[in-house]
Amino acid sequence: MNQQELDGILQKAAELKVFCEYGQRTVPVLDEIAAFVREISPAIEDLRAVVEVSMVNIPRAADQLARVTQATEQASTDILNTLDRMVATLDEVIGSVASGMVSSEVGAATKKMAAIVKSLVDKSGWDEDIVKLAEAWDIHVQSLRMSGPTSNLERLLKDLQNDCTEIMMALQVSDITQQHIGTVMGTIQAVAEGLRKLTTGFFSTETAEILQPQPTVQVQFEQENVGEVERKKMVESLLSKARAGQL
Amino acid sequence: MTSMKILIVDDSITIRRIITNALKTVGFPDTVEAANGKDALEKLTSTNVDFIITDWNMPEMNGLDFIKQVRATPDYSSLPILMITTRGTEHDVIEALQAKVNSYIVKPFTPQELKEKIEGILKTVQVNAA
Repeated sequence: MNQQELDGILQKAAELKVFCEYGQRTVPVLDEIAAFVREISPAIEDLRAVVEVSMVNIPRAADQLARVTQATEQASTDILNTLDRMVATLDEVIGSVASGMVSSEVGAATKKMAAIVKSLVDKSGWDEDIVKLAEAWDIHVQSLRMSGPTSNLERLLKDLQNDCTEIMMALQVSDITQQHIGTVMGTIQAVAEGLRKLTTGFFSTETAEILQPQPTVQVQFEQENVGEVERKKMVESLLSKARAGQL
Repeated sequence: MTSMKILIVDDSITIRRIITNALKTVGFPDTVEAANGKDALEKLTSTNVDFIITDWNMPEMNGLDFIKQVRATPDYSSLPILMITTRGTEHDVIEALQAKVNSYIVKPFTPQELKEKIEGILKTVQVNAA
């Protein structure tokens, strides 16, 4: 054994010494890690249980929200159908009321007079005085309508029609609700997808397969934390800026 | 009453009916409906449309992509477009305006508001055309 070989052995021995010293230092750390893992093991099991329950419950919650959306849409359609029928009926009734004087004695006389005036106009060859008489008659008939009991009824019926329109407009709430539910469902699905990935990478249990991968959902994070009036003001302000070419 | 034909684009049949009825009450009875942007583009080729009212969130093709397609098509590029949507953040409005929407309404709206918006757009379009 020459000096070079001896130096090589001494070098290896030195490396072995360093390795052993390192091992002596790391063993306690590894012991600590093992103790920690033993300690958190029940917590990991608890977390696994929570994840497993969530992966069943989240799709169920999404399904229930979808049912709410469908039920709301169906109810809105039913209400709209009813309102359409009411508006059509009111149209008919208003039409009848407008010419309602026909059924009364005054109405019969007015109708008779109207026929006479028309006949006079035709026979006179649109004589200026007769045309003036016809115009005066029209004004008289209109004032009769305005002052008669039917005019009040007509106004009430039109009020009812306006109320129908207001109910119809209020049904926008169903769409607004649906849109917000859609956003919540998107968030829930994103959470579910995160949990699925967690179970696949961390727990490696079969539960990872329960939830199929969901399409990427765009979650709207910017909060609409202003009231309706403020929001409309903001829109108008931006529209003005756009018109002025300042956007 | 006006004979202007308005295309209503919304995936919700309820909202389409509400807009149709609101338009009728304010003197715009002539409407045609589409359930999304893709459907609306088909309607544009088959019907002479004078004005578009569109939602934003829709399947198949959303309102913003639809507006971009309309603006990129020479035959329809100058059609007036009003967006009616639940999306009411400043970022949303700016994005829609950058896509060259003429005006914007955040739901809920009233028939009167709808009328004022349409008339406002038509006035601006006429001024710009003159």
